[in-house]
Amino acid sequence: MRTLKYAVSAAALAVAVSLAPMAAEAQSVLRLDEVPVGELDPAKATDFVDTMLMFNAYDTLLLPAQGTGGLAPHLASDYTVDGNDFTFTLRDDINFESGNPLTADDVVYSYDRLIALGQGFSHLFRDHVASVEALDDHTVRFSLNAPYAPFLAALTRLQIVDSQAAIANSVEGDYGDNGDYGQAYLSANSAGTGAYNVTDHNPQELTLLARNDDYFLDIEDGAPDEVRLVYGLEGATVRTLMSRGEHDISSQWLAPEIIRALAERDDMHLFRESGTGGFYIKLNTQRAPLDDVHCRRALAHALDYDSVIQLIQITDEVAQGVPANGPLPAGMLGANPDLPVPTRDMDAAMAELQQCAYVPDEHTIEISWVAEVPLEERFALLMQANFQELGFNTEVVRVPWALFTERVTQVDTTPHIGQVYVRATTPDPDALIYNMYHSDVAGTWQSTEWLNDPEVDAMLEAGRSTIDQDERAQIYRDLGARLVELQPTIYAFDTQSVYVARDAVEAETLSGDGESSYSLDGANFMFRHMNVQ
Amino acid sequence: MSSTFFKTIGIRLWTSALVLVGVSILIFCIARVIPGDPARIALGPNATQEQVELLRDRLHLNEPLPAQYFEFVRELFQGNLGVSLYTNRPVTTDIADTLPATLELVVFAGILMVAIGIPLGVLAARYRDKLTDNVVRLLSLLGVVTPTFVWAVFLMLVFAFYLEILPVAGRLSQGVDPPPDLTGFYTIDALLAGQWSTFWDALAHIILPATALAMTAIGQTARMTRANVAESYDTPYVEMAQAYGFSERRIASKYALRPAMIPSLTIMGLDFAAMLGGAFLVEAVFAWPGLARYGVETILHKDLNGIVGTVLVISAFFLIVNMLVDVAVAWLNPRIRLQKRWAG
Repeated sequence: MRTLKYAVSAAALAVAVSLAPMAAEAQSVLRLDEVPVGELDPAKATDFVDTMLMFNAYDTLLLPAQGTGGLAPHLASDYTVDGNDFTFTLRDDINFESGNPLTADDVVYSYDRLIALGQGFSHLFRDHVASVEALDDHTVRFSLNAPYAPFLAALTRLQIVDSQAAIANSVEGDYGDNGDYGQAYLSANSAGTGAYNVTDHNPQELTLLARNDDYFLDIEDGAPDEVRLVYGLEGATVRTLMSRGEHDISSQWLAPEIIRALAERDDMHLFRESGTGGFYIKLNTQRAPLDDVHCRRALAHALDYDSVIQLIQITDEVAQGVPANGPLPAGMLGANPDLPVPTRDMDAAMAELQQCAYVPDEHTIEISWVAEVPLEERFALLMQANFQELGFNTEVVRVPWALFTERVTQVDTTPHIGQVYVRATTPDPDALIYNMYHSDVAGTWQSTEWLNDPEVDAMLEAGRSTIDQDERAQIYRDLGARLVELQPTIYAFDTQSVYVARDAVEAETLSGDGESSYSLDGANFMFRHMNVQ
Repeated sequence: MSSTFFKTIGIRLWTSALVLVGVSILIFCIARVIPGDPARIALGPNATQEQVELLRDRLHLNEPLPAQYFEFVRELFQGNLGVSLYTNRPVTTDIADTLPATLELVVFAGILMVAIGIPLGVLAARYRDKLTDNVVRLLSLLGVVTPTFVWAVFLMLVFAFYLEILPVAGRLSQGVDPPPDLTGFYTIDALLAGQWSTFWDALAHIILPATALAMTAIGQTARMTRANVAESYDTPYVEMAQAYGFSERRIASKYALRPAMIPSLTIMGLDFAAMLGGAFLVEAVFAWPGLARYGVETILHKDLNGIVGTVLVISAFFLIVNMLVDVAVAWLNPRIRLQKRWAG
């Protein structure tokens, strides 16, 4: 009798276990993963996953325009430019998740908070904005110190916070009357106007978001009711979860072979996001023999670009990058379509080498790769093979990222060749290449070329101070040509982020056709555009 | 319990505190000589030098090392381990969030280690040099030489990918709410709250990671127990018990196993404590939100406060387990308790 009782209890419990998740799944849930940690505070968010959170939980005055490039009004219905003053009119039909209405004071508070904390994307504004002032409830004016064309694009990184909620939840801190500026609260809770509200957040484990049906713009009918953004899943775990139908979208950081294996299944397809950055093989222009432009060009001609693409190939049609022809990815303002896509040409390489002042076998070229990015080792070995054909001695060196960032602060310790992925932090070319090539900012991980060319500096400065977008585009096209001529960098490929998704999930912004996508990495993960069946 | 016993415990506590101070100084210094500027890493690649300098000032990184340590100790006595540069949260919050998950995992792995490793060892010793012994020795060797992450992936492949009978990731299924937080152990908290479905769900989630984590320790325990029990079987008192005609079970459990457990217990204690720090790969594979994984991430991100906090907690765990093992050994072997050296 007792055995029977236990058996019945066990059966009841088993049913309970199986029914509990089913009951909770009555609403549509989107499950995806990213690398930890998810930063929820708009004044600190910078990483890819932070961008995903920001563009769902918060809104900005302007948004990257879908498909067309450029910018589109968002929280601001309109704006005017008068010299260095930018005046924005806010929509009057928007409320925060607390129910508080959006006002110009919220914009001022969000800006002041970003600058006071000095983290996140504050560097986009700090040296350029003189003041921010609320003219009335729905009008706010930004006054700049000098003409600064990338300013409007930078506003796509200024998330507007509910100032009343932040102030009400501030505790004692280092910021005088502002206490901790709501840091403790905003690192665990959202206080925005976004299409999704954060209902639970552990920066290392999981963020739960719920759809905000009062959102001021349309939300797709099939948009998920709930989003579970999980942090730190290993490749094998993602593969198992997706195979079991327990996970919907992978991160872009999966190994190509896992993406390939999943993509071969009948119930999976690929999402793509491109046009915001590239993979740059950076040549130290201040160390022999690469201080001679002919040696640099010889290396560029000798690289086997087809093999580079093969290393990142996912399927016959899709790779994690497309051939690049210059510093700016195709589709970005100022990308120069007239520049030729480089190919391996050993005759041209040998011709350049003969003009180089150095004898190749008298020099050892250090080819570094970042330890945390194993794929770079394959690129390094390919370069080693290619460049040795020119007669150079080469040494492949594995460098942890922390050490890499320290080594590149001195020209003599910067490797001859470094490899980095760089993505624009705003939809503006300045955000991608100013920090790479202006001589004032040499000595960072982005500028390991140590380029010092007055013509390049002048063009970069002109790109910042010229407001007319057509003129700017021409400046950047000319700059692209100049950089290809100087060859401080080998432009290996424009990056393309590839994700695996179950067929049950559709997202036009991630279709890869460019017509619906936003020109900013991570912004294409606005869940309101997705459909989950 | 005699006063000598409590005095001994007191001395052990005092020396443990000294060890913790030493560990804190050591790890405090080591964390600061790892290459890379923590402020730069924390602020991300696009931060300006001005931003980096501001954060360095806020973290006291521009001050001499002794001054930094003094500041750390001052904060520590207020129960504050600083803010993690990795998560931007207080380190104490991070540890409070992650420690129970790892402890639960380690405790379950420890139970498996004892429940499987010891019987296997006794069985092998009882049937020494026979087929059973050879099979156990082979299996335990396999357990010892196979890296933990291989076990993790193997178990996941078999039971989650192919058979689909156990969950893959996390501590609970999607849609299952955590039980009320009493101990931080989901299984125990669910039982205390009478939430049976949550209990079974939590149990199902912990089986694979705990097994993967325990495999090496099970093998080690089985091998060690076998050797020690086999030695006991050769002693005169066991031969005498056999001559008296005592049952095999009584001989194995009372006369052979108990003295054999004394050396085994110390090693098992160390294995148990080592699982706390070594759980990283298991936690990574099974997306287990634990302290070991947090600790490794803090090292990779050069999160100074996170590194020091995690190492201090793991060190304290080691010391506590060691002390408990010493007590257990004394309980098992009265000769040790009666020796003068126990008094210090």
